Amino acid sequence: MTVLGQIVLLTGKDLRIELRTRQTVGLVITLGLLIVTVLGLGLAPEGKLGGYAAPAVLWVAYLFGGVLIFEKTMDKERRDGAMAGLMMAPIDRGVIFLAKLLSNLALLGFLAVVIALFAIVLFGLDLSAAPGGFAGVMAMSLLGFAAVGTLFSALTSSTRLSGGLLAMLVFPIAIPLVIASTSVLNRLFASKPAAGDDGTFLTALGVLVAFDVVFLVVSWLIFEVVLEP
Amino acid sequence: MSVVLAASDTAKAPPPTRSLPAVQALEISKRIDGRPILQDVCIDIAKGRYVALLGANGAGKTTLMKLLSMLAPPSGGQLHLFGQRVTREGSPKLRARIGLIGHQPMLYGDLTARENLLLFGRLYGVSDVADRAEALLKRVDLAGRADDPVKAYSRGMTQRASIARALMHGPDLLLADEPFSGLDAPSNQMLEELLAELHRDGKTIVLAHHDIEQSLRVAEQAVVLRRGRVVVDRPTRQLDRETTLAEMTGQA
Repeated sequence: MTVLGQIVLLTGKDLRIELRTRQTVGLVITLGLLIVTVLGLGLAPEGKLGGYAAPAVLWVAYLFGGVLIFEKTMDKERRDGAMAGLMMAPIDRGVIFLAKLLSNLALLGFLAVVIALFAIVLFGLDLSAAPGGFAGVMAMSLLGFAAVGTLFSALTSSTRLSGGLLAMLVFPIAIPLVIASTSVLNRLFASKPAAGDDGTFLTALGVLVAFDVVFLVVSWLIFEVVLEP
Repeated sequence: MSVVLAASDTAKAPPPTRSLPAVQALEISKRIDGRPILQDVCIDIAKGRYVALLGANGAGKTTLMKLLSMLAPPSGGQLHLFGQRVTREGSPKLRARIGLIGHQPMLYGDLTARENLLLFGRLYGVSDVADRAEALLKRVDLAGRADDPVKAYSRGMTQRASIARALMHGPDLLLADEPFSGLDAPSNQMLEELLAELHRDGKTIVLAHHDIEQSLRVAEQAVVLRRGRVVVDRPTRQLDRETTLAEMTGQA
C-alpha cells in the first residue's frame, strides 16, 4: 500500500468512527454555538456582529472547539491501546501524524463552517465582501492550528494533565496565527483601508504561510519522538 | 530410493531455521522515571522456539515485551531481532514480522471486529485481507459477532478479537503478554491449541503468563525474571512448578 493509501485509510477510519458516534462533532458544535452566542450577545447586543469583533469571536470558538477536537480524537487512539497497534504497523510514524492532521482538519473545517453560518444567520455577520478570501484565510489558519494541535495532543495525551495542559500549550503558540489571521480578515473586510494597510496585510499573510510551513514540517518530523504507545 | 532422495535433499538444505536467533538481547536495561525496571537482561531465543516468560508481578515481563515489540526503546544494551539491531522505533520491515497480544486489545471499540482486522490487515499489506480476516474470525470463534462493534463485546470476546488482530499479518514472532486473561475454559483451550499450531508452523512465540504449570507444559524454554533480571533461562523439561516458583520469589 502506498503512503497516500495509508493516509487515506487512517483518515477514513477516523471519519468513519466520528460519523458513527458523532461524539466529537456534537460536543464541539454545541460548545462553539454557545461561545458565539454568549460573545455575540455581549459584543453586539443590537444583533449585528461586525468589525474587529467578528473574527475574534469566531476564533474564540475555533480555539476552544479545536482543543476539544484534538483531545477527543487522540483519546480514541489511546483508548484500548489502539495507538500501540498503529505504532507496531509497518508504516512511517509520519503517516499517523498526517492522517490524524487531516481528520482533525476535517472536523475543524466542519466546525468552522457551522459556526460561521450560525454567526451569519443570528448575528448578521457579513462575509459578502470577500467570501472566498474569508474561506482561504480560515483554511490556512486552521491548517496551522490543526498541525500544532495534533502534535501537542499526541504529547499530552500520555500525561494525566492532558485536558488543561493541551490548551495551555496550544493557545500561546497559536497567538501569532490568530493575530495574523484576524489582521488579514480585517483588511479583507475593511470598507475603507487605511494607508499602510497593504503592508500590514502582506506581513500578516506571510506570517500565516510561515506558521503553516514551519509547524507542518516540524510537527511531521518530531511526531514520532513524542508518540508513545 | 525416496528415502535416499529425502536424505539428500535434507543434506543440501540450508541449516535449520531454528538455529537462527529470533531474539537476541545483550545486556539490555530499561529505566522508567529513574527506576531500573530491567537490568542486564541477556536472552537468546532461536527462531521457532516457544518460550515462556515468567516472573512475579513487577518483575519486568511487560516492560520486556514492550522492548521486544519495539514499542519502547531500551535504556542500555543491544537488542537484535531476526539478526537486525533494533533502532529506536524499529524498521517497518522488522515491525511487520512481529505480532503482539498485549494487556490492551489494541482495537478501535467503535469499529467492528471485521473492520478492525481489515484496517490492520491493510496497514500490513496483507493481500487476501478479507479472506484472512474471515478465517481468523472463525478461528477465534467470532464469526457470528464479526460485524458488532468491539465495544459491545465481553472481555473474553475482546481478547479473542485482539488475538485475531495480532495474527492478521502472520507474524514470525508472536509476543503474547497474558493472552489467556479473561478467557473462559473453551477459549483458553482454543488459544493454547492456536499457539501450538503456530509453533508447529515454525513461528517464534514468547508467552508471558502467570500460570506456571500451563507455561511449563506448553513452552520449550522458560525465562524467569526476578526484579528485572533473568534468573533462569533453560528448557522447561528441567523445571517444575516448585522450582520455578522458588526462582520467581528468590527462595530457591
